[in-house]
Amino acid sequence: MSIGRDEVLHVARLAELAVRDGELDRLVEQLNRIVDYVAQLDRVPAAARMAEPFVPGPRSVALREDVVDPVPLARPPAALAPEFADGFFLVPRHGAMEDS
Amino acid sequence: MSASAVARETGARLAAAQPLNAVLHWSQDLLDAEAARVDAMRTRGPLAAVPLALKDNIVTVEQPTTCASRILEGYLSPFTATVVNRLRAAGVLIAAKTNMDEFAMGSSTEHSAYGRVNHPADPARVPGGSSGGSAALVAAGVVPVALGSETGGSVRQPASFCGVVGMKPSYGRVSRYGLVAFGSSLDCISIFSRNVMDAGRVLSVMSGHDPLDATTVDQAPMPMPSGLGDLRGLRIGLPREYYPEDLDPGVAAALQSTREVIRDLGAEIVDVSLPHSPFAVPTYYIVAPAEAAANLARYDGVRYGPRGAGPDGDIRSLYQATRGEGFGAEVRRRILVGTYVLSAGYYDAYYRKAQQVRALIAEDFQRVFASGVDLLLTPTTPTPAFRAGEKTADPVSMYLADIFVCAISLAGLPAVSLPAGRSEGLPVGAQLIAPYFQEERLLAAAAAIERALPAEAEVR
Amino acid sequence: MEWETVIGLEVHVQLRTRTKMFCACRTSFGDPPNTNVCPVCLGLPGALPVPNAEAVRLGAAAALALGCTVRHTSVFARKNYFYPDLPKGYQISQFDQPLATGGRVAFESPERGRVQVGITRLHLEEDAGKLVHDRFPGKTAVDLNRAGVPLAEIVSEPDLRSPAEARAYLTTLRQILIYAGASECSMEQGSLRVDANISIRRPGESRLGTKAEVKNLNSFANVERALEAERDRQMGLLDRGERVAQVTLLFNAASGQVKQLRSKEESHDYRYFPDPDLPSLVLDEAWIAERREALPELPEARRSRLELALGIPAYDARVITSEVPLADYFESVVAQGVDPKAAANWVMGDVLATFNETGGFPVSADRLAGLVSLVRAGTLSHQAAKRVYAEMAHSPDGEPAAVAERLGLVQVSDQGALTGWVDEVLAANPAEVARYRAGETKLMGFFVGQVMKRSQGKADPKGVQPVLAEKLK
Repeated sequence: MSIGRDEVLHVARLAELAVRDGELDRLVEQLNRIVDYVAQLDRVPAAARMAEPFVPGPRSVALREDVVDPVPLARPPAALAPEFADGFFLVPRHGAMEDS
Repeated sequence: MSASAVARETGARLAAAQPLNAVLHWSQDLLDAEAARVDAMRTRGPLAAVPLALKDNIVTVEQPTTCASRILEGYLSPFTATVVNRLRAAGVLIAAKTNMDEFAMGSSTEHSAYGRVNHPADPARVPGGSSGGSAALVAAGVVPVALGSETGGSVRQPASFCGVVGMKPSYGRVSRYGLVAFGSSLDCISIFSRNVMDAGRVLSVMSGHDPLDATTVDQAPMPMPSGLGDLRGLRIGLPREYYPEDLDPGVAAALQSTREVIRDLGAEIVDVSLPHSPFAVPTYYIVAPAEAAANLARYDGVRYGPRGAGPDGDIRSLYQATRGEGFGAEVRRRILVGTYVLSAGYYDAYYRKAQQVRALIAEDFQRVFASGVDLLLTPTTPTPAFRAGEKTADPVSMYLADIFVCAISLAGLPAVSLPAGRSEGLPVGAQLIAPYFQEERLLAAAAAIERALPAEAEVR
Repeated sequence: MEWETVIGLEVHVQLRTRTKMFCACRTSFGDPPNTNVCPVCLGLPGALPVPNAEAVRLGAAAALALGCTVRHTSVFARKNYFYPDLPKGYQISQFDQPLATGGRVAFESPERGRVQVGITRLHLEEDAGKLVHDRFPGKTAVDLNRAGVPLAEIVSEPDLRSPAEARAYLTTLRQILIYAGASECSMEQGSLRVDANISIRRPGESRLGTKAEVKNLNSFANVERALEAERDRQMGLLDRGERVAQVTLLFNAASGQVKQLRSKEESHDYRYFPDPDLPSLVLDEAWIAERREALPELPEARRSRLELALGIPAYDARVITSEVPLADYFESVVAQGVDPKAAANWVMGDVLATFNETGGFPVSADRLAGLVSLVRAGTLSHQAAKRVYAEMAHSPDGEPAAVAERLGLVQVSDQGALTGWVDEVLAANPAEVARYRAGETKLMGFFVGQVMKRSQGKADPKGVQPVLAEKLK
């Protein structure tokens, strides 16, 4: 299987990663190298593969009782945020979101 | 010795170790404050006044946590990792935050936004990775113990390269709360130390259920190790897939002498097979990037971290600039691979298949252990430490440095890398692997072998 | 041309918990922005989710109330997309292994009578934060207090055949979820939200047409309006021989129009995969049975019990059971020995009016029972009782008898007093007396009314008539 330039750009868009100028060709080559390498899993016969995925750790999730007890913040959101005002995180206005 | 005195000495060693570039954050003031806290403790904890370094992907309130990435430049966590709270309660001094491959993605600590870490024995070589900073600090004698994290061998492999003990617990044994996630189904906080006993003591303090981490197993902490191990009556398996024809001669020789030591100590050595282990690296390079692509989506420049300025001034442009500029090349590669293998039309061909093969890899281990084998012995790495720049051009060649450690991570098993001699002056590691949650057996055997192994001797 | 409308709904309800789905932050509504936040719901590096047991219990209760099968194993999955209200860059939801599947809800369709809609699935997930667009010029403001609030998403089969039917289903669904104690289902507070899928096809055709998804439906009335608008748009397209494209639409309540949405819906590739931070949710048979046992009586059952056991009309039973507190109140009144039909009349009349106005019951069930018994004993007229009720609702202290006394409304049946008022009325209306005596006996009602008026409603009308009849002989 081989990944083309358009596919790399599509995936980069899904991952919200800007691809730098002049970087694309090398990325295409490297991703193909990696994907070709991992494709060797095709050599494991389908019949041999386990139906149930393996997940290490507890078999079932331990639940938490419904008690208000958040892990406290040693510094407030305002101290973390790149842009913050009146208690809100701020981002550039997104046109398509205005109706929602 | 008082913690304050330890803090001063540790500070002096940290300052002297600066050429290694193993440390990202430390200050004498913080170290002194840690010491004052420990000296004021009413009861002397089991790790009182032990200075310990943390890989820079374990969060603390006092120091930045950058994961060696520009995208977390200057980030100060508002909470502290569970393991750090537990270690501090036992008397540990947090000495420094160590350099690493960015977001723990790498096998050489060359993929750090803050420069590569030098191998303590040869600055032209790499210390291994991704926890290379922690490995180098322990190897250089700056701190007796350091924490790293493993996703696919990131502690055992650098421990092997640097000639120290590297211990990875079972998945679910130690809380991940406060460990910055890379591959959540694989990530394990792990330990570097100068000897097996120290690793056991640190593990005993760190281990146990954490209500803040749903993947920890509901079991009591591991008891403090007794230190007296005995190999008599144990059956130790040699999985043939881990001893290829083209194994580095120095590594082969070190493993040969380790086998002899084990036999002399009264254990029986048997040949076994883990037929799916050769698929561990390709499986890993689907599972880990897929999980990473989601785990790293939170670095979007909205709530914390530096923000990139997109050309269009809108939100997408902000995302793409923040992430495009903030992540280094290897991290971006893995995010793209992880996004690709999960994307519509490819999920079954890659992610689902990898999950199925992962189950086969884990089942191999279960079958061998169920057949009466107590532990497995393998090389930790296919070669001793390689030269800086040797594998950076081809990502896959770098991935293959983890060929003997990946399967254990996929199977969630505990394992330890022991210094097993030197080849042309460079350390070689031997890896012992135990069944799930059998850390006590693992550490007892490792301690017995450690006492008998000539770790500093040339093997050929 | 004839078309059939096919509608399926995706309903998100907030589960009634104190804390969020995956962290111990408060879920309270209306707090200052970004105050109910912690490392987990801020999506900070190193934070991990731990599921809320109560959310699982309530999700299971909702599922069982909707006739679903609760699965022994369900799996939390990550739904990946970028949006400023989504702190982790993924939403923890459930995908191919939801909490529950295969339920159904029966309800009265305005067009088809009693129908059933299939419930495809119910799954648990976390809510996103809130975006505020009008507060800072050129900026969108992000409040993460809502981020991580537990939701159940309830997906129906495409079994609904008209916008009005969709609305009727929603009304029934809401009632069931409130009865089950799973959610408050308040659209104002955002604890119930609806997305709708709608398509058009020829009647009798089994294949579905191309569907549109309509979002941002903030009231049941708007669900109906939006679906009508979209149905008409699609029928118009098909009538003109054009094709319906698969789109996501936003409903604008002000204009009554639907508008095509761009942004995240453009790329529908959510790359779901099991969340490695969360082992499977495993619920054993005993636990599920326990949840089923703990389910309160549901609206259907209560309605038929009130009809059959108490003998009130079907219409009354439906009105009274529309709200849990109303039905509870009604049953308390009846438990005091009040005739069920009399109690039903009161509850559907004055009590419901007060409830709609104040959201509560200022006149306790005990006192209403007391009031009804005063009417029954002839101590108060029905009119007087309504005044006593209004007075008690207004200032809720004092027993009904005392209030009636204070207002001077206690009915008088004393012969002497009645004769006095009758004499005064006859003396004041000589012309009508003459006409009555001339045979115009229907004037009796007029005389009774005059006596009631003169007595300010206190005269017992049953006692007045014999006295009048005697005097007018």
